[in-house]
Amino acid sequence: MNEGQDWIYSDIVKDHFLNPRNFLFGDESKFDFDAVGVVGNPICGDQMKMYIKVKNGKIEDIRWKTYGCASAIASTSALSELAKGKTLDEVVNISAKDIDDYLGNLPKHKFHCSVLGHQALADAVKKYRAE
Amino acid sequence: MVYLDYAATSPLLPEVITAMHEAEQKFFANASALHTPGHLAMNKIEETRKLLAQLINANPDEIIFTSGASEANNTVIRTFAGHKIYTSPLEHHSIDEAARVLGGNKKPALYSYMFANNEIGEILSIENIIKKAHKNGDYIHSDLTQVLGKLPINIKALDLDYATFSAHKIGGPVGVGALFIKDGAPFKSLIIGGNQEGKRRGTTYNTAGIIGFGAALKYAIKHKTWDIYDAKIRALRDGLAKRILEEIPGSSLNTDITPGKSLPNILNASFQAAEGESIQLYLDAEGIIVSTGSACASGDIKPSHVLMAKTGDAEVAHSSIRFSFGLDNTEEDVKKVMQVLPGIINRLQKISTIERES
Ligand code: FES
Repeated sequence: MNEGQDWIYSDIVKDHFLNPRNFLFGDESKFDFDAVGVVGNPICGDQMKMYIKVKNGKIEDIRWKTYGCASAIASTSALSELAKGKTLDEVVNISAKDIDDYLGNLPKHKFHCSVLGHQALADAVKKYRAE
Repeated sequence: MVYLDYAATSPLLPEVITAMHEAEQKFFANASALHTPGHLAMNKIEETRKLLAQLINANPDEIIFTSGASEANNTVIRTFAGHKIYTSPLEHHSIDEAARVLGGNKKPALYSYMFANNEIGEILSIENIIKKAHKNGDYIHSDLTQVLGKLPINIKALDLDYATFSAHKIGGPVGVGALFIKDGAPFKSLIIGGNQEGKRRGTTYNTAGIIGFGAALKYAIKHKTWDIYDAKIRALRDGLAKRILEEIPGSSLNTDITPGKSLPNILNASFQAAEGESIQLYLDAEGIIVSTGSACASGDIKPSHVLMAKTGDAEVAHSSIRFSFGLDNTEEDVKKVMQVLPGIINRLQKISTIERES
């Protein structure tokens, strides 16, 4: 899974796990968002939420929340960095593989929850467009 | 490092390292051989057998060595292949999965009920099961892996037909276990082909491993480790439990810490709205080593079957952490845990998609 390193996940996952970027700490009223996407994970009981603020068709700012594992935290943190400043079309096109590549190959059994953020983000964009 | 995962495995005792080192040099010969070095190796193996027999109050002839607890458990279940097999809901997978695959409807039946559970430390009251089994002419096996060295064991008084033990939970090496088979109880070899263990288990003796097990048993007998667990370790465990409940909102215990209800060295707790693998790995980053029953942390993405059986609530498992103490732990270790745990839980609860209730 991660031979030759002393931690279970790659260094970049570890960094995003220990120092997650853009998470929404506490009450969601603390972030002035335009839309929120939600996705549940039936496999292990995890949940993910993505909050987006949109300006001129671009993700101006982004926050997230999760009740998930280290890999879910790290990959969502990474995704939030990847998404910032991108157009809505661009962010819905970020693929699971992009996240996986960025994070340096997640363990296979963690793939399902590491793409949750991506689904939540797509859901947020869909809701934003529906408004 | 603060190591609190002793129920998973324990580091080798210094006495064990010394004994095994000596064994590798002096007792390398095949213990089944007739020559002198072989004979000397066999003597050392028999020494371990006697120590275990003494500690659990059995006859040495009633004990065989195995590659570990899972093999010992599998051996008993396989002996009853095709027979009715009853198990407690808290059994290790080497029992419940084997029973599912191999169980049938023939009589006599086998009951496999562990004495104490590894995840929550619960002590099961199996006296009635034992009586019931024997009244009906059935047999009873108990997995005593977590009990050895932690509580006094008297196999004869318990009236068990089979019992499982493991070396690496008491400071011995991984890869060595033992199975008690009551004289006259049915038995089928798992590994056929060889005269070892009185024809009960083929394969060359793991002399160094068994000698290491012997050194760990000697340590347990000499220091009456069950008394240390009952006093010093229980106090540490209970102290941690108290502080968790007092200082961490949304926490609850999955272990009943009332004396007699659980092993004194295991504490399983849940932290509402915080996921177990994340807690485990944040603690790991602080040098604190624990385990979790969260589905996220298991290779097959299933929550702990033990916590599910006890609570029926995947949430409890999802947010559970097991702290398991060993003889080396100190007051200082508990302090270190409580320096970081409240902050970790608070942070995870604050980023969680679900609300903490209290
Ligand atoms: S959130 Fe459950 S495995 Fe990642």
